[in-house]
Amino acid sequence: MFLLDAPVVSRREVARGMFVLSLDAPQIAQTVRAGQFVDLGWSPGPLLRRPFSVYKTEGDRIEVILKAVGAGTAQLLAMTARDTVSCLGPLGHGFDLAAGPRSVALVSGGLGVAPMPLAAREARAAGMSVTWVHGARTVDELCSEAEGDEVIWATDDGSRGFAGTAVSAVPDADLVLACGPNRMLAAVAMRWPDAQVAVETYMGCGTGVCLGCAVPLARGGYDRACKEGPVYRAEDVEWSMLPAHLPYAISA
Amino acid sequence: MTIDMSVDIGGLRLRGPVLAASGTFGYGTEVPLLERRALGGMVSKGIFLRPRAGTPPPRIVETPSGMLNSIGLQGPGAEGLIRDYAPQWAQWDFPVLVNINGETADEYGELAARLDGVAGVAGFEINISCPNVEQGGLYFGNDPRAAAAVTDAVRKRTDLPVWVKLTPMVTDIGVIARACEAAGADALSAINTFVGMSIDLNTRQPRLSFRTGGLSGPAIRPLAVHLAHQAARAVSIPVVGIGGITSAEDALEFLIAGCAAVQVGTATFVNPSAIADVHDGIAAYLASHGFASLAELPRYLPRD
Repeated sequence: MFLLDAPVVSRREVARGMFVLSLDAPQIAQTVRAGQFVDLGWSPGPLLRRPFSVYKTEGDRIEVILKAVGAGTAQLLAMTARDTVSCLGPLGHGFDLAAGPRSVALVSGGLGVAPMPLAAREARAAGMSVTWVHGARTVDELCSEAEGDEVIWATDDGSRGFAGTAVSAVPDADLVLACGPNRMLAAVAMRWPDAQVAVETYMGCGTGVCLGCAVPLARGGYDRACKEGPVYRAEDVEWSMLPAHLPYAISA
Repeated sequence: MTIDMSVDIGGLRLRGPVLAASGTFGYGTEVPLLERRALGGMVSKGIFLRPRAGTPPPRIVETPSGMLNSIGLQGPGAEGLIRDYAPQWAQWDFPVLVNINGETADEYGELAARLDGVAGVAGFEINISCPNVEQGGLYFGNDPRAAAAVTDAVRKRTDLPVWVKLTPMVTDIGVIARACEAAGADALSAINTFVGMSIDLNTRQPRLSFRTGGLSGPAIRPLAVHLAHQAARAVSIPVVGIGGITSAEDALEFLIAGCAAVQVGTATFVNPSAIADVHDGIAAYLASHGFASLAELPRYLPRD
């Protein structure tokens, strides 16, 4: 875990209102694994840090993906190349992409694209063929950077690709990884109990001490999205107790 | 010049006046980035005698300059603490107090008795101020007789230092403070969180599943400075100030207002080195104002 003042390098739009922010954070870029996140703080900004899955890395840079969902994310998007962001990470427990499965399906809804580029990279390195199924409400909200041996698009209104949810468009695969709204992940859990899913929760500290990011477990009790998560085996989560949608998310 | 930052809090000698507040530091085994030399001590996450699951999510929500939490004292219970954490604490060079909770005065006493003598447990902070449990907690903190009964129940079961953590949700904190002092408390921690509420305009329901939560962070600091000061004026035992401290300047306000030490809580969530920053900043202030020790810092504590 590192705490860095990370200069903002660049910003690009990858869907309507969805941006990728590139930060210079060498130690984090070199150690982060797919599904892990960084906790960002800035001044003047909100009191608490905000968690973001690491989207991509390149050299000393990490990227996060976000939409302006509130005052905090709007401030982050207003930053220019001279600004710095306090960056704590890498945090959490990411995807298990050990060699074995021959094919993986990455299933992402909206901002759920966040952990997938790193997951695709690690899956390919482990010898898997990668199918990425990416869904959104409409074509304008699809992230333009989905990639893989095969890419399947899904939109609720049928404006691009499959008309329906990303989950219903997923082909057979040895392994399923998913990230998106919790109600989408609950649907994933019904179909693939073994899937690895990255959940979204409110988060306080990001380091395991505040117990604010409680994830209800099927076996009873709670653990911490920031420490044991954010990636879980789908059937291990008690989905009926996890809030279905949050204004900001670990995937955001 | 090396500043003597040590303080004596009710029989417990601390190397510095900045402690980690309960519920913001876990059991001390996380927060790896903190320079631990700065820790005067640590108060563990609050525990009950038996394990507790805590409240369903959402458990936290950010508010202007603060946050509401309703964790519900999720924890491993006494046996889990003794097995998993106390052996580590016994190796550390700063004292760990255990924040203890119960649904009855007897249960507080029983928990103290179970932990008394366990290596690594240096003292107790009685939590009579948690707003996030259905039974006990805050109930004991807003009635002087109940506060005294809990303090007495713990005092009878241990010779270790006993601190009592007070709630701000009272008409006169001095009355509760004196009741705890008379029942044998060695020190007081002032204050715990304020009870607050936040409503989601989309669902038209409270944002927290517990409906209400404890408000912490800079939003409560001036309120906390005042209440800690009121408590300090009411008793002759030391008062440990808590409430929205993020910097040395914030901590110095509490110290000057009559507190012997301070606890840093929510700030650690934002800045994992907050405790070290506060500790070093206090030392720098003392040095630049010509004080050789924290004990020389003048206090604003007029007696009635």
